[in-house]
Amino acid sequence: MSLKNVYVAKTLDEVLNLLNQYGCESKLIAGGTDVIIQLREKEISPKVLVDISNLSEINFIDESEDKITIGACTTFTTIAESSILKDKLKGLVQSAESVGSPQIRNAATIGGNICNASMAADIVPPLLALDAEVLIESKAGKRRILLDHFLMGKGKVDIKPEEIVTAITFNKPKNREALGFGKLGLRKALAIARISTAIYLSLDEENTCRKIRIANGAVGFRGMREKEVENIFIGKQLTEDVINMGIEKLREELNQRLAGRSSAEFKTTAIAGIFKKALLETANNCKE
Amino acid sequence: MKDINLKINGKSYRLSTNEDMRLIDVLRDELGLLGSKEGCGEGECGACTILMEGRTVNACMVMAFQTDEKEIITIEGLSNGEQLHPIQQAFIEIGAVQCGFCTPGMILSAKAILDKDTNPTREMIRQGISGNLCRCTGYAKIVDAIELAGKLLRNGGNNCEA
Ligand SMILES: Cc1cc2nc3c(=O)[nH]c(=O)nc-3n(C[C@H](O)[C@H](O)[C@H](O)COP(=O)(O)OP(=O)(O)OC[C@H]3O[C@@H](n4cnc5c(N)ncnc54)[C@H](O)[C@@H]3O)c2cc1C
Ligand code: FES
Ligand code: FES
Repeated sequence: MSLKNVYVAKTLDEVLNLLNQYGCESKLIAGGTDVIIQLREKEISPKVLVDISNLSEINFIDESEDKITIGACTTFTTIAESSILKDKLKGLVQSAESVGSPQIRNAATIGGNICNASMAADIVPPLLALDAEVLIESKAGKRRILLDHFLMGKGKVDIKPEEIVTAITFNKPKNREALGFGKLGLRKALAIARISTAIYLSLDEENTCRKIRIANGAVGFRGMREKEVENIFIGKQLTEDVINMGIEKLREELNQRLAGRSSAEFKTTAIAGIFKKALLETANNCKE
Repeated sequence: MKDINLKINGKSYRLSTNEDMRLIDVLRDELGLLGSKEGCGEGECGACTILMEGRTVNACMVMAFQTDEKEIITIEGLSNGEQLHPIQQAFIEIGAVQCGFCTPGMILSAKAILDKDTNPTREMIRQGISGNLCRCTGYAKIVDAIELAGKLLRNGGNNCEA
């Protein structure tokens, strides 16, 4: 057994000190739903585990005038039940509700989901569509970075061994703006990649798309923005024709990205289907 | 070794555990509480479901040291001596148990559902037990049993005739 020491941290300061002391010999454990499997399969072998699941300092959902900030140790159950998120940010609630099972959602955290950086991490597409920023701390200080830059590749994120993600923050939707989400392939046991899509949409009174940000999960080595597809929509009215053009572009993009994979055709068709449904729902939610 | 204080079914235990033990290992191997089962060991089947601070979690997905000072309820904590808990009574009454491997976890998920709302819809019940796999029953009887348990709880007892 390589594990020598385990700590239950009660304050953020304590965590920062431990990380500073042990650096790359240490591993943070929040909900443990990824870490414990990795420990048992010997994919990782830290000497020190630092439990952060009891850190109330980074377990919160906070609303200010123009921002919403979610603490890294907030569980998916808390996100799913949040009254702050339930209307215009329904996409976040739906993505949290779609994770695993009640038992997993009661333990698994938003910070763990992002830092584990699986290509199918469910909270990632909605947060990319929100253009969210990641707040990071270490003993040396604080920094913030766009989630889009924080995610580097499958299982890789831009974080140092002495650092901890403390929160995720994004702008609050304004009038006639909303976030939507769609997902397919719910059961991990069935071994289908969980395909998901998230859309942030801003419509004016004429139903013209002022802003749109689209991000998909499980169709690349990480959750990704679909900027080419966004360009089809911007400045246009959301008519059936425009929607179909957008979907055509999405198919093109995915076919290129997934070229040569046996799952390409299935994934492309599946994404097109859930994308259309999510887009229409989001458009309706903008108007409410 | 790591010393921890566990509060299980209202009793306190002071234990020295290996750093790499999970809660399921402590329950079964250290405390002999064999009601919680280990099926998959990777969070998929729910056979190891327990209540921690009132919420269901998989005991195979929590490290023992993380549960220090936490309030835990296992299947052993449900009955009151000889008197079965209404949920247990309802599972027997409806015949919702076949091999029984999933039953302890299923009953704790049922408790979490009914603690929130003693009159849940069948859809809410299905959602609530979606992390508990049963290879035997096909779930219909389990949902029936949880509905009956809700009724028993609303009537304040475990008399199925009432
Ligand atoms: C049965 C099962 C079903 C699942 N279903 C889904 C699903 O449907 N969708 C999905 O997206 N995921 C799913 N997962 C994966 C997992 O539950 C999620 O990725 C979860 O969000 C991880 O969070 P955690 O708190 O459990 O992370 P942990 O396992 O505690 O940590 C994960 C990683 O993040 C690091 N970390 C955690 N918190 C921080 C922090 N604040 N700062 C820096 N690093 C940190 C840890 O060191 C570790 O490397 C499933 C897992 C299981 C076992
Ligand atoms: S044994 Fe824990 S979920 Fe299967
Ligand atoms: S009764 Fe056999 S697994 Fe459920």
